Amino acid sequence: MGFVKGTASYVRFGVDGELPENIWDFIADRVSSFAFRDIDETYEEDSLGWVSVTNMFDTNFEFASYAAGNYVTLTMRLDERKVSAVIVKKFVQKEEERIKKEKQIPKISRSMRVEIKERIQNELMRKSLPMPSVFDLCWNLENATLLFFSTNKKAQALLEDLFKESFGLNLIQQIPYICGEHILDEDAIDKLARITPDVFV
Amino acid sequence: MDLVDLIAEKRFLGQEFLTWLWWKSEERGGVVALPGEGDIVVVFEKHMLLEYGEGDSNESLICRGLQTELQEARTGLVMGKKLEQARIQLGFNDYEWSFTMAAALMEFRNVKLPKTGAESGNDNDPEEREGMVLERIYLFEELVRVVLGLFRVFLQIRVSADWRDELQKMRAWVLRAEKG
Repeated sequence: MGFVKGTASYVRFGVDGELPENIWDFIADRVSSFAFRDIDETYEEDSLGWVSVTNMFDTNFEFASYAAGNYVTLTMRLDERKVSAVIVKKFVQKEEERIKKEKQIPKISRSMRVEIKERIQNELMRKSLPMPSVFDLCWNLENATLLFFSTNKKAQALLEDLFKESFGLNLIQQIPYICGEHILDEDAIDKLARITPDVFV
Repeated sequence: MDLVDLIAEKRFLGQEFLTWLWWKSEERGGVVALPGEGDIVVVFEKHMLLEYGEGDSNESLICRGLQTELQEARTGLVMGKKLEQARIQLGFNDYEWSFTMAAALMEFRNVKLPKTGAESGNDNDPEEREGMVLERIYLFEELVRVVLGLFRVFLQIRVSADWRDELQKMRAWVLRAEKG
């Protein structure tokens, strides 16, 4: 579901900044520099990068598969290791009980408690498998606009950062007021800045 | 002004547009004229979400039903609620989209694209795949273009002296709903 098939939800961004003359070489270089890196075999907590829109395991983009006419189509992939707070709490308590018994002490000090929690959290994180999530985008090079196929605010913030890092360009969400600034003439934009909400009753 | 403040302060603009579009489409039986393009079929259907208040005191009201049963949503307007989301059927140039517009941020949600017959193409052929992708991009962007065209019509009236008249007509329509 999403950009390539089925129903889709999307928001529009404006792309702000200049691209170099050899646009496609630049894009090829930046996409491969910021391609997704797998963390299944490591202990890293998360990984974020570009993959192909048709296959989230494709990070090679053979024959510039992200290019479609004057558009760049990419998928932002995020893999994250997560451990639920309930599980952390359970194993921290278990470990505290074990230490109390082993050391024959009635209470665990605050500093030791912090140390235990940190250690358990790290151990559990290493055992958990990275959860993948993918978000498609379609970048119109001619109009400098971009459709992002998610209304999730956290994903949008990640996209803004990854896009800036990858291409050195800023994304500006096209909320109605900003759209208005693009489609009205100067005189009307001045008036638009001054209007206040009206009630319909 | 930074974007976060701008979003909060100008939230009303998209919501007023959506309400205006609903009234405009009902005024001519589901058709809105777009200068230079012709008539656009705009039908509000099944699902609407209205909101009231700001920040923590924000409340919302969901109305479902057939077009004629959206009376409750209009009564919501009488109570001072703002139209934030609506499911819309939009027809233009033999194409028909169905989507939910989230007004404050102008998000296009659950967009169902027009049927074009190209869906049955061969996924494994790179050229055919590119063709399909380009067609889908065209249809996503075309929907945005038409909605922005309607938004321009609204804004031009909204910032002009004609807005008072338009507002009076809309108020009469809202009140008719309450009496009806």
